[in-house]
Amino acid sequence: MANILLLIGVMLFSFIIGYILISRVPQLLHTPLMSMTNAISAVTILGVLILFSKDIEGIEKLLACVALATASFNIIGGFAITDRMLTYFKKSK
Amino acid sequence: MGLNIILNNSLIDFLIIFILIYGISRFRNPPGAKVGNRTAAFALFSAVLLVIARHGIHDPVAVVITLLIGSAAGLYLAKTVNMIQIPAMVAFQHGAGGVAAFLVSFVELTSVGKTHAAMNEISGILGLVIGAATFSGSMIASGKLSNKLKQTPQNIRFHSHIALAVLISIIALGAMSFHLPQQQDKMIFVSMIVLSAAFGVIVSIRIGGADMPVLISFLNASAGLAAAFCGMIIENKLLIACGATVTASGSILTHVMCKAMNRKLIWIFIPRKTVTAKKAPGAKNVSTAVTAPRAVKDESKSPSDPIATAARLALEADNVIIIPGYGMAIAQAQSEVAAFAKLMSEMKKKVRFAIHPVAGRMPGHMNVLLAEAEVEYEMLFEMDDINQDFKHTDLVLIVGACDVVNPSAISVEGTPISGMPILRANDSKNVICCNFDTNPGYSGVRNLLYEMDKTILLLGDAKQTVGRLIERVRSGVAETIPEDEKKPTSNYEKAAQTLTSAKSVIIVPGYGMAIAQAQFKVAEMARLLEKNNTVVNFAVHPVAGRMPGHMHVLLAEAEVDYEKLKEMDVINPMFKDADVVLVVGACDVINPSAIRIENTPISGMPVLSVIDAKNILICNYDEKPGYSGVDNPLYRERKTTCLFGDARETITKLISLCSETTA
Repeated sequence: MANILLLIGVMLFSFIIGYILISRVPQLLHTPLMSMTNAISAVTILGVLILFSKDIEGIEKLLACVALATASFNIIGGFAITDRMLTYFKKSK
Repeated sequence: MGLNIILNNSLIDFLIIFILIYGISRFRNPPGAKVGNRTAAFALFSAVLLVIARHGIHDPVAVVITLLIGSAAGLYLAKTVNMIQIPAMVAFQHGAGGVAAFLVSFVELTSVGKTHAAMNEISGILGLVIGAATFSGSMIASGKLSNKLKQTPQNIRFHSHIALAVLISIIALGAMSFHLPQQQDKMIFVSMIVLSAAFGVIVSIRIGGADMPVLISFLNASAGLAAAFCGMIIENKLLIACGATVTASGSILTHVMCKAMNRKLIWIFIPRKTVTAKKAPGAKNVSTAVTAPRAVKDESKSPSDPIATAARLALEADNVIIIPGYGMAIAQAQSEVAAFAKLMSEMKKKVRFAIHPVAGRMPGHMNVLLAEAEVEYEMLFEMDDINQDFKHTDLVLIVGACDVVNPSAISVEGTPISGMPILRANDSKNVICCNFDTNPGYSGVRNLLYEMDKTILLLGDAKQTVGRLIERVRSGVAETIPEDEKKPTSNYEKAAQTLTSAKSVIIVPGYGMAIAQAQFKVAEMARLLEKNNTVVNFAVHPVAGRMPGHMHVLLAEAEVDYEKLKEMDVINPMFKDADVVLVVGACDVINPSAIRIENTPISGMPVLSVIDAKNILICNYDEKPGYSGVDNPLYRERKTTCLFGDARETITKLISLCSETTA
């Protein structure tokens, strides 16, 4: 039970800290922000990897592979495109 | 041993969370954001390594191969996608995140011999449901944003009732899963996934057009939430923390978008009937522009050439604000807009951009487009920072924005946009409006700004109107050209200009070319364009001419390379990428009515998809219908320029104009 409370605590804490920090992001950067947080939301890749730490078979393994592919697609694609987008933002010389 | 202690210490989890949060906190300005993005990527990468080190991997080969495939696909898309497609791409990735979340929850929930505490199981079920709904909703959103699906809201009968019924079934199934033996859980969870996916579709299909930024932000939040719940069932702090942070970010963006449209989230998901009825979503959409003739008249009836007046105002102004909108994105006019801003800056004028929070199809959409067009970000201002300055501004240039500058939002009550914060373009001394037409924007509310005396309308494709405006300003002799001398040739000049600036041209010959004996001139034109590095193809309809292969023979005689003569099925998909289609003496074989209208003599006849092209030049003898007698609406398209008369003379004239410009 204590563990559950800790997890809920982590959730609320992250939400609040995230909320405070992100509400200060200027509108200029909203698209890169969404694109980056999009990549972060594929953090479920950790869950997939934990599945792979056990001996999984058949359909479970197939599903885990699909999840791993989509999550890695999302992470790499998300961070890479955010990086590319941000290189376009230039200051006057 | 020592290493194990470090690895299993949960402080290291918090350290990674801290690094991630630090990354996000760097999103204050573009250079910082770049560092922040990389920091967050580093944090996530460390988290992956940490999990692998802690838990080990049972089948490294499968994992590495799958990882490589997923990453390569992600990297490839990230490198190749252009900035216009960003909203669709981001929506697609939300969906990918949703898939991973519901699959992990599913496998975890159904794994044999495992019992979860009730709290964890509820979280897992939530991860499953939200993940699946995010997936299907994102696919719909992505389809709409990339124009693969209709952008307009789709309503089915009893829409809200069906949505509610599906939702209740999901909840009921979820409750049942607690009371049934574990063997039956699998079936229940599979049905929940299916129902949740259906729910995602039902909710997102009725959202369209200008409401898309809300949907995409909401999906951002729900993808994060699915990840967080997924983290609860596997009891992983990193997953929970990241998921919750993303949820926070998506919620903020959703809130900002709703506020900027003065709408409540609930009414975006459950649109009220009165609002839907009045919607005119096609207003800014090029592909549905059938109302062109009125706009054409508007331009010609005004006493003086509006472009000349606009250019004069731009020359006189000291202080200019540019307001971009989604129409700029559709017309792909951002580089022209950037060029205009640069020109104004070079003339020592003060130029700024005013960006409304909901301009475009996702939060910050305009900023990215303009950044790509090399506008310095210091010139981009948020609404609240610039709204006071409009009254001291000489000139406002609006490019493809409508509702966000509509003064009715303030002055008229009871409209869908009443109370919505707007950019105060109407406070400035003069307004130039480069919108596609004068139809209302997405809200369906007539834009009073169009009717004001200080407003000059330059209707049509923004890429072209802004381009012409730049030229006029640059030549600086805006008013010295006499009107009457200018008018008659202007259609030809415009045509020559579009031809010489085109990268790909498709020529559609028809029987009229044979009658006018214009094939040699057409071939000459093709060679001239190719010399200018333009890709030229010929689209030959099977029944063009008076016998099979008629056009081929005529053009072969005129020394056109036969490899350039493409058959209908080959060339039809290429029209949408063509900058200009030059039609010479063809009518029925390009008539879109064959597809759109039933019961005409040509209904169902396969036609060349000329209508998909960006610009159309028609060199036919007159406007009369072809052999079938069916009126050809293509002539009245906004993107069409008609050069009626003898085709050989017309083409000869075009050739001389084009060679002047290229020389």
